[in-house]
Parts: sequence; structure tokens; C-alpha cells
Amino acid sequence: MHAKRYHQWVVYGFIALLAVPALATLLYSLSRQWGATILPEGLTLDWYIKLLHDTRFLVAFGHSLLIAVGTLLLATVVMVPTTFVVAYYFPTLDRWMNIVILMQFAVPPVVSSVGLLQLYADGPLPMVGTPWVLLGCYFTIALPFLYRALATALQGIGMNDLMDAAHLLGASTFRAFMYVILPNIRKALMAALFLSFSLLLGEFVFANMLVGGRYETLNVFLYSIRATSGHYTSAIVMGYFIFTLCVTWVATRLSR
Amino acid sequence: MGYLEVSSLSKNYGPTPVFRDINFQMQQGEFITLLGPSGCGKSTLLRCIAGLTPFDSGRIAVGGEDIGHAPPQQRGIGMVFQSYALFPNMTVFENTAFGLKMQGVSASERSTRVSDILKLVELQAHTDKYVHQLSGGQRQRVALARALVVRPRILLLDEPFSALDARIRKSLQEEVRRIQLQLNLTTIFVTHDQEEAMILSDRIFLMDGGKIVQDGSAEAVYTRPNSCVAARFMGNYNLLDAAQAKTLFGMDIRRQLAIRPESIDVRAAGSEGSPARIVRHQLLGNVIRYQVEAAGVTLLVDVLNRSAASLLPDGASIALQFSPEEFQEVA
Repeated sequence: MHAKRYHQWVVYGFIALLAVPALATLLYSLSRQWGATILPEGLTLDWYIKLLHDTRFLVAFGHSLLIAVGTLLLATVVMVPTTFVVAYYFPTLDRWMNIVILMQFAVPPVVSSVGLLQLYADGPLPMVGTPWVLLGCYFTIALPFLYRALATALQGIGMNDLMDAAHLLGASTFRAFMYVILPNIRKALMAALFLSFSLLLGEFVFANMLVGGRYETLNVFLYSIRATSGHYTSAIVMGYFIFTLCVTWVATRLSR
Repeated sequence: MGYLEVSSLSKNYGPTPVFRDINFQMQQGEFITLLGPSGCGKSTLLRCIAGLTPFDSGRIAVGGEDIGHAPPQQRGIGMVFQSYALFPNMTVFENTAFGLKMQGVSASERSTRVSDILKLVELQAHTDKYVHQLSGGQRQRVALARALVVRPRILLLDEPFSALDARIRKSLQEEVRRIQLQLNLTTIFVTHDQEEAMILSDRIFLMDGGKIVQDGSAEAVYTRPNSCVAARFMGNYNLLDAAQAKTLFGMDIRRQLAIRPESIDVRAAGSEGSPARIVRHQLLGNVIRYQVEAAGVTLLVDVLNRSAASLLPDGASIALQFSPEEFQEVA
């Protein structure tokens, strides 16, 4: 009993420790002024109100959302059928797919963004400075999460037997996929999409180097106003944090 | 001419033959079993008939129509899988109605036919349940209902009872046979369990190494095995070579002698018969299996377990009486 209570306190201690930065940021974003005193001098929601009236912030947030959602739509449209085709028709390609999806981890984002800058600055596809280059770039970031989650889900549901059963009951391969396979990998797909969404929303290196201020995303905006009020940037960080928390909650609800 | 005709069917995986030159026919309403050890090609043969696995050469015809190259959707074949292969995202009703929906059957007719078939398999109280809410036996009955509701020309059962416990397996065996007879359904059953095959089948096709080594009624295949493989697989036959047969019975044979363990009588020592000694015994419930030694030859003898007093101890001297009319010479 004594040992159990001790372990509980250790866990609570760690949780409290991890919560300190978030709580401090929250408190800072709610404080009117917090300088030479231990506690803030008065609380206010002014920073959040200012945030909601800042057009530049709203546009940057909209850009981030648009790119993340667009990327995930593209990734879903491309990767769901691709993963199914690999698993059903060419299972031996799985090991090659695993190599392909891991390649992006082998090159640091700064290095690959320099390469992408050289490739797409001019030539037949001058995309640098446009959201299109981020769309393609972010697709490769979402790729491993989507492919692995979907491939594992297909394996887990016994895809071959389900397809055989559906075929014998008169379904074409397309209908078997739509009626049987897709609903059964929905949870894995949703989990992978929301995980990728959180990652993409927080991506900074590619966004800053490939597009910068020409199509400002949330993190580029945050970086550019770093020298202004700390209370204001804290409010942005907290807004982002709460938004991600809500998305995660929705993802958990949908995955049930 | 049979209802289902399989002629000269062969299948290889690369250079490895799975089965070769398979020929058989079955009549409408017949229940046959493909029986054999794991890896003998029986499940692959079943999948070839279903159209799920392509074969290399040969012909499969149902009612005179060559279906060998038709896709599985157009063969009119229902199948129950070892893994059930039920759709987890659907209820019992939706699983059962899936085939009818794919065939474009109207919603009202679907409802009637699904209700009828669920009543037949005694699942009418579980229509709204999902697969994960059902027991193993119930799942298998849903799989059966799903295959039957589309009124297949042939029903294929791929080791459907292997994941079930003994009690449920027995009750489902009876249920499958009852439904098969009631619907006069042409059925092919795949199993490696000889007892299951004998309980259910009109005819048994015994497979080994990608070939049908013997076929016939359960009684014929069990009592008159035509090879050592059949004798070993169908029962715990004692297989004696020529020298052992000469020593024990003074018989001159050229092949091997197969003797069923239950055809040997155990008598008290000193009685008429060959003197023998019990090496060890196993209690198999209603049967006691003795391993005995007679004239240096080790034999298995099965005796009905009538009473606890009838159990003979290891090392006991006995006499064995054989019935030569039950001897079977096998290749």
C-alpha cells in the first residue's frame, strides 16, 4: 500500500513537472504584465482578443490549415489505394515501400529543403514560394505514418480472407474494397491522419525555407513576431496548443 | 455425368507441384470430404474450385458448364472459411445480406431471405449483433448463413470447425449435415480430421502428396484401405511387413499387411491364440488402447472399455486372436 502511494506520487510529480511549461505559458498569456514580480500583475484576456482580431495571424493560421488538410487529402487519395494495391496484389513490394517511406528520415529537413530550393526555384516547375511545394514536401512527411498504419491495419483485419469472401458473395474488387476493407481500416486511417495533421501544423523548417513570408504559415508568423510581446506569442502558442488538443480529442472520438 | 466434374486438374507453385491430375465427379446433393494431412493440397484444390486460386491445367464444370476460368463472383459457389472471414464492420444481418445486396436483390426480399436463413441456423435472436459480440460457434453459423443465403450451386467448407472446442464442433457438425440434407446442397468439405470426415460425408476423397489416393464411402475407405498412406491416415492400422506377417501368421505376402486395432481380440493368457505381452496402455475414454508384443512384433490393440475391472496392467501376459478376414494387403 505504502509502495503504491509512493509510485502514485512519483507519477503525479512527473505530470506536474511536464505541465509546468504549459501552465507557465498559459499564465503568461493571461497576465497583463509579468516582470520583476513572482506572480503576474493582473490577469487579462486582451492578448487573446488581440489575436482574434489580428488578420495576419488568422491568414497564417488559415494557410497552415489549408496546407495540412490539402496534404492529407492528397495523401489519403494516393496512399489508401496504393497501400491496398501493394498489400493485395504485390505483397512482396512491402519491403521496398518500407525503404521508400523511411528515406525522408535519412536526410535532415534543412538539407532536403536546400535540394528542393535548387530543384524548384526555376526550371519547368518553379514552385518555390508557393504552397504547392509545401504540399508535395508535406506529403512525404505524412507518407510513413499513413503507409505503416494502413499496411498494419490491412494485415490485422485479414484482408485476403475478407476479399475472398466478398468476391464469392458477388462483389467486384472495387465494391469489396469500398464496402468491406475501407470501413475496417477507417480507425487506423483516422489515427494516422490526425497524427500527421498535428505534425504538419507544427512544421517550421520547410515552411520557412521554401515559402517563407510569401505564403506565411502559423509557425513562420510566430517566428517573425518573436521579438514583439511575449504575452502575445504565448497566447498564440496556447491557442495552437488548445487547437491541437481539440483535434486529438476529435481523433480519439472518431477512432472508437 | 456428375453435377460437379473436376478433370485432370493440376496446380504448381513455381516448380513445386501442389496437386497433380485430380479427377473426380460428384452428384447433386452429395456431401464429399477432401481428407488429408496438412500440405496435401486439399485447401488449394478447394480454392481452385471456388476460383480464388488459378490452376495450371484441367477443367472444372458444374452442371456441364465449364466454370474453370470464370471469376469467383460468377461461379455460384458459396464458401465457409476456416477464419470465418466475417465482415467486422457489419452486424449479423448485414453480413448475411451482403451477398444479396451485391446481387442487386431488393431490400424487402433481402430481409425475408436473411430472416429465413438466420432462423435455419438458429441465429434469429442475434441479428443486430456485431461479429465481436458473438461466440466462435455463432460466428461459424453466421458464416454458414452468409454462404447459404445466396443459394449457391455448390457449398465449400474449408476446415470450418478447426477453431472450435469439441462440444460445439460436434453440435455444428450435426447442424451442417442437417441443413445440407434439408437444402439438398452439393457440398465439399475439407478437413484433416478423419472422424469428422466419416461422420459427415457420403464419400471421402483421401489426399496425400497432391493426389487422391483413395475414394469411397466412409466405411469402404476405413475398412478397406488400398495403401499404407490410407491405412495410416484413416485409423491406427497395424502395418506388418512381409517378414513380420510370416513370423506372426505364417503368411507369405508381397506387400504390407494392414490390421485394424479393434479387429484383434484380447483373451486371457493360455487361451487359444498367439501369446503376447502388454507393453503399455492408454485410456482413450470408451476405448483402451494396448501396445502389445507378440513374437517380437509390436501391435496396437483397441478394446472397448466395458468396466474398470477389464483394464489389464502393463506387463500382463495375454493371448491375441486375429480375424484373417479383416486383414488387408496394402501397397
